[in-house]
Amino acid sequence: MTFTKEKTLADQVRADFPILHQEVNGKPLVYLDNAATSQKPLLVLNTLRDYYEQYNSNVHRGVHTLSAKATDAYEGSRDKVAAFVNAASRQEIVFTRNATEAINLVAYSWGTSNLQQGDEIILSVMEHHSNLIPWQLLAQKTGAVLKFVELTDTEEFDLEQFKSLISDKTKLVSTVHVSNTLGCINPVQEIIAIAHKYGAKVLIDACQSVPHMPINVQLMDCDWLVASGHKMCAPTGIGFLYGKLDLLRSMPPFLGGGEMIADVFLDHATYADLPHKFEAGTPAIAEAIALGAAVDYLSNIGMDKIYTYEAQLTGYLFEQLAQIPEIRTYGPLPKVAGLGRAALASFTAGDVHPHDLSTILDQAGVAIRAGHHCTQPLHRYLVAQSTARASLSFYNTRQEIDVFITTLKEAVEFFGSIFG
Amino acid sequence: MTLSNVRDLYQQVILEHYKKPRHKGKTDPVHRHQRGHNPSCGDTIELTVQLNDAGDRIEDVKFEGEGCAIAMASADLMAGALRGKEVGEALLMVQRFQSMMKGQDEFPKELRKLNVMAGVAQFPVRIKCANLTWHTLKAALESPNSSNATGFISNEKEA
Repeated sequence: MTFTKEKTLADQVRADFPILHQEVNGKPLVYLDNAATSQKPLLVLNTLRDYYEQYNSNVHRGVHTLSAKATDAYEGSRDKVAAFVNAASRQEIVFTRNATEAINLVAYSWGTSNLQQGDEIILSVMEHHSNLIPWQLLAQKTGAVLKFVELTDTEEFDLEQFKSLISDKTKLVSTVHVSNTLGCINPVQEIIAIAHKYGAKVLIDACQSVPHMPINVQLMDCDWLVASGHKMCAPTGIGFLYGKLDLLRSMPPFLGGGEMIADVFLDHATYADLPHKFEAGTPAIAEAIALGAAVDYLSNIGMDKIYTYEAQLTGYLFEQLAQIPEIRTYGPLPKVAGLGRAALASFTAGDVHPHDLSTILDQAGVAIRAGHHCTQPLHRYLVAQSTARASLSFYNTRQEIDVFITTLKEAVEFFGSIFG
Repeated sequence: MTLSNVRDLYQQVILEHYKKPRHKGKTDPVHRHQRGHNPSCGDTIELTVQLNDAGDRIEDVKFEGEGCAIAMASADLMAGALRGKEVGEALLMVQRFQSMMKGQDEFPKELRKLNVMAGVAQFPVRIKCANLTWHTLKAALESPNSSNATGFISNEKEA
């Protein structure tokens, strides 16, 4: 490895993340659980504080100055998110609690009014539970049938098998853009083009892609796309649904209440125009505004730059993991320059249980995930009880990967000695 | 890296029970049968219990399952400690073990082998790993007709 004296992206941004500068169990924190949730930069933290200190007020209601200011900031944040994913209209962005709520919104609103007995929904075996359970519930309610795309030999989305599954009965395809466990980047543009030929709608779960690479919903041509703010430097409790305008217009409301109405009578009501039709009740105002700040922060760095830097780290991570013979990684290996997969590695280490690995790493200040990462069916498919996962972000460094690898080696040796 | 804290947790005895469990398998006959799991991590355990003719004393306990070193060693140590114990006594041991996981209690001399698990109390996120087998035992002993139970008991709400 050649290390240049040039400042890396991480060197430039680490000062923006106060949480990274602490010791955990007496060791400098090495946070490698970014696929679970990202850390938040000062810009986002200050945005939250400024809102509560200076203009906390309900949106779309008051005529007073603070309410107008809050409304402007809240709606301004929607503009930022729309631009970030290149939506054609700001009305196509609906704020939700998270991606899970966004998927449930589509399942209940569109699903219950469009699906019938025998209609087919195609998912993949790598889906997060949030992109599985809502469709199971919908299938139980409507009699629709779930079909599953399996994996190729390199543990990626099997496009050929997908082609054999899809038919005129297919009404919906819902799949993850980047797998939170395998780290594969699915060929969503091709999937969508094929699905549209059969008249099927496509929902893309972009939780693991929006924070790490440029996203263009118009180019992708997805019908819906969902993401969670907390994985992209924003607070918890805020996420968004992108949907094509005509499609969102055709969908009945999901939750009823204040904010989503036009005229209300005792026995009926008319609904607000998009996107407010889907935003019943007082929203997570501060969080939504802070999501806008997170988008500003990421855009200011540049998603291309983030993707390229994270790919370099990914290449290094897999290179180092390959030097530990006991380690088995899941999903595709990175291609040249670390490209072609997400900046995360799920792995097992022989007979050592991921929880035991995680405890030892934690003692060295290294935070990783151990378990089934909310992809239980995928783990069953891979015949892995659970896996450990190190997931990176643009504020991680090679030195942190070195700490992780050194400790991982020690842990493997420690347990290896007893299994001898 | 200093492994000193880790060595407190993964004491040699624990690692030995993990590596070479003495009580893996199924009892014959099976008088009580219970499966338990930690849904958040995927660890599972399946306990079988053989009782005496009167049904008030444990003759044998065996376990099968998949999980971390802490969960598996805890199960093996528990199974060893339960032989010959009255059912009521075993249920008190469950309570004592759970107290030990809160750092509040230890086992008396004749059961001191179980005290090697006391170090787990210093690792709050791992307590449920150690508790899984005891939690499952409690469910097995408290349901008299569990010899062919098919459901899982969840350990998720354990401290």
